[in-house]
Amino acid sequence: MSTVQGTLAKGIQLLEKFIVSTASPETNRIDIWVKPEDLKPAVLALIENHWGYLITITGLDHTPVMDDEGVTTTKGTIEGLYHFAEESVIITIRIKVDYSSPKIDSICDIIPSATLYEREFIELFGVEILDTPDTSHLVLPDGWPEKVYPLRKTFSGLNEEFIAGKVS
Amino acid sequence: MDNKNPLQEIIDKIMNWSRINSPWAIHFNSGSCNGCDIEILATLTPRYDVERFGIKLQGSPRHADVLIATGPVTLQARDRLIRVYEQMPSPKFVIAVGSCALSGGVFDGCYNVVGDLSKVIPVNVYIPGCPPRPEAIIFGVVQLLESLKLGKVPEMVEVAPLELVSEELGGLQ
Repeated sequence: MSTVQGTLAKGIQLLEKFIVSTASPETNRIDIWVKPEDLKPAVLALIENHWGYLITITGLDHTPVMDDEGVTTTKGTIEGLYHFAEESVIITIRIKVDYSSPKIDSICDIIPSATLYEREFIELFGVEILDTPDTSHLVLPDGWPEKVYPLRKTFSGLNEEFIAGKVS
Repeated sequence: MDNKNPLQEIIDKIMNWSRINSPWAIHFNSGSCNGCDIEILATLTPRYDVERFGIKLQGSPRHADVLIATGPVTLQARDRLIRVYEQMPSPKFVIAVGSCALSGGVFDGCYNVVGDLSKVIPVNVYIPGCPPRPEAIIFGVVQLLESLKLGKVPEMVEVAPLELVSEELGGLQ
């Protein structure tokens, strides 16, 4: 029987060489930030050593921070969170990409079923996932306008005419 | 009716009588959380015995008189809802079940939601509740039937507060 601490330590050890920074929101969880180019090797390290499985991929939108003069002090980023679970332990691999080129490597060649999460991520956050096998619409309604991403903080609703069905 | 043909009058009466005694319903979920749908299913069980009013669930909109709709209308469901409504033969009636069908409820303002049911199709009866109890759904349908008997549109009905109702039932089970 493995303990929570033991399982967690094993996972951290597998990801050790990719760690940029970490946070521990709960005793059974750890968030590990890695560089975007290290995402695939990090996922591969967990899967090859049979540490857990991918629960889901979620996203976060960090809007740019401006000071009083309107100068951007922190660039806007999109964050991808890849949650892996082994028993009650959850490791979240987090990567940050710039608004200017939100490109993330696909992990579908390691975990084929991640394609659903990646399609959802593309649709809702407008990131570009390189070499993902399928980029067709998944959750948004038919006829949703191009380049409108509802989970971006800048999204403030569709125009009334579109919702009322006057334009399609 | 402009021309008061006595034969036509009798036929109309018979049609109205038969319509009131066999309201076949179709159930459509246009984005509900399924809470109201479960209550509608409960309503159709023998415990509530809605067949005493002739209410029967129909699979096809072409055979239905009453559209029982639940949930807010999502962008994806809007066109389908309109199509189902238009496939129903006239005269047709719409019953909106639950807070979301009345006002959009918790989904109002979501990026993929049009809003409440009346923004898309005309609604005859509103049944509030989250979800409404089967008794409330039956009451709403009966209101519709009563108004058809009198040959007019349903009016708003004051419903006794829950405490009074539960006292009558001997407390909520």
